[in-house]
Amino acid sequence: MKSPFEGRLIRLRAREPEDEPLLFRWINDPEVTENFVIRYPMSHAQERAFIDSCAKPGYERAAFAVETLAEGTLIGGVDLGRTSPENRSASLGIAIGDKSRWDSGYGTDTMITVCRFGFEMMNLHRIELAVYARNARARHVYEKVGFKVEGRLRDGRYKFGEYDDVIVMGLLQRELVTR
Amino acid sequence: MKSPFEGKLVRLRAWEPEDEPSIFRWINDPEVTEYLNARYPFSHSQERDWLVRAGTPGYGQASFAVETLGGARLIGSCGLNASTPENRSASLGIVIGEKDCWDGGYGTDTMRAVCRFGFEQMNLHRIELDVFVPNERARHVYEKIGFVTEGVRRHAHFQSGRYFDYVIMGLLDGELRLD
Repeated sequence: MKSPFEGRLIRLRAREPEDEPLLFRWINDPEVTENFVIRYPMSHAQERAFIDSCAKPGYERAAFAVETLAEGTLIGGVDLGRTSPENRSASLGIAIGDKSRWDSGYGTDTMITVCRFGFEMMNLHRIELAVYARNARARHVYEKVGFKVEGRLRDGRYKFGEYDDVIVMGLLQRELVTR
Repeated sequence: MKSPFEGKLVRLRAWEPEDEPSIFRWINDPEVTEYLNARYPFSHSQERDWLVRAGTPGYGQASFAVETLGGARLIGSCGLNASTPENRSASLGIVIGEKDCWDGGYGTDTMRAVCRFGFEQMNLHRIELDVFVPNERARHVYEKIGFVTEGVRRHAHFQSGRYFDYVIMGLLDGELRLD
């Protein structure tokens, strides 16, 4: 039986307090957070509070740590949040904090696994996300997995001294491209 | 535009603190509660507490006061409760507390209105209910609008010196008969 938490390279699991040191390092690394919403440094207390808030993944917030299948190494996190049961929709956020795992399929596999979870276990109809226009790597992954561009929020983000557009993308239940 | 809250005879609205005297009277009337899961006398403070909880209808507890369309007379209560978003299923409860409204089509109209609300506004896939086997009036109404008998919970309830069987009935999206 195919585990609902597993892809080909990664596994989704709940975040744990022991994850804090790694998450703290990543969240304060501007190279990692360049394309995140995060803009301020984060304290240990904030990071611990964040992990606490993820402690019980459920329908309102399906919050996951992402670890490699091969070694069980924590490499990032992904969340389905702002879930609406009437609309059957959720907002996706993903962060691969371990830079050594960029551009090697971990992001794509995480996206496929969490979207499959959202559709097959949570019975969502729609998953949406926002991505910065200049984040070509991420946009490519999302399109590969089936997300469609739905809108562009002009000058939606200000960071690093300039504005960038925010692209809104959506994926419906039967549109997920698993490979 | 057809109001999502209205049938042909009744309107669903939110509960108000001023409704307490009516629900207190109903819930302490053994004729009204004969086939309800209500064994003990209820106090005013219990009813006031219930009104506070029921007073904010939402996905987890969609509780409605039932009033007549002409005259806005409060005649009963209905609700879709314990909704699970992944299963898109809810449990229905209904009471027509004003006995002079029994056998006048109010129960049927209330059932149609609340089920329509559940399917069209809450995006439910399934509505289920339990009804006592001897409660012929109710079972007839539920069957008339499309509920299907799915099982019997034998001796699931003890009241008035005897065991009662519950009939489990279910209605799926698309099965509701509106006329």
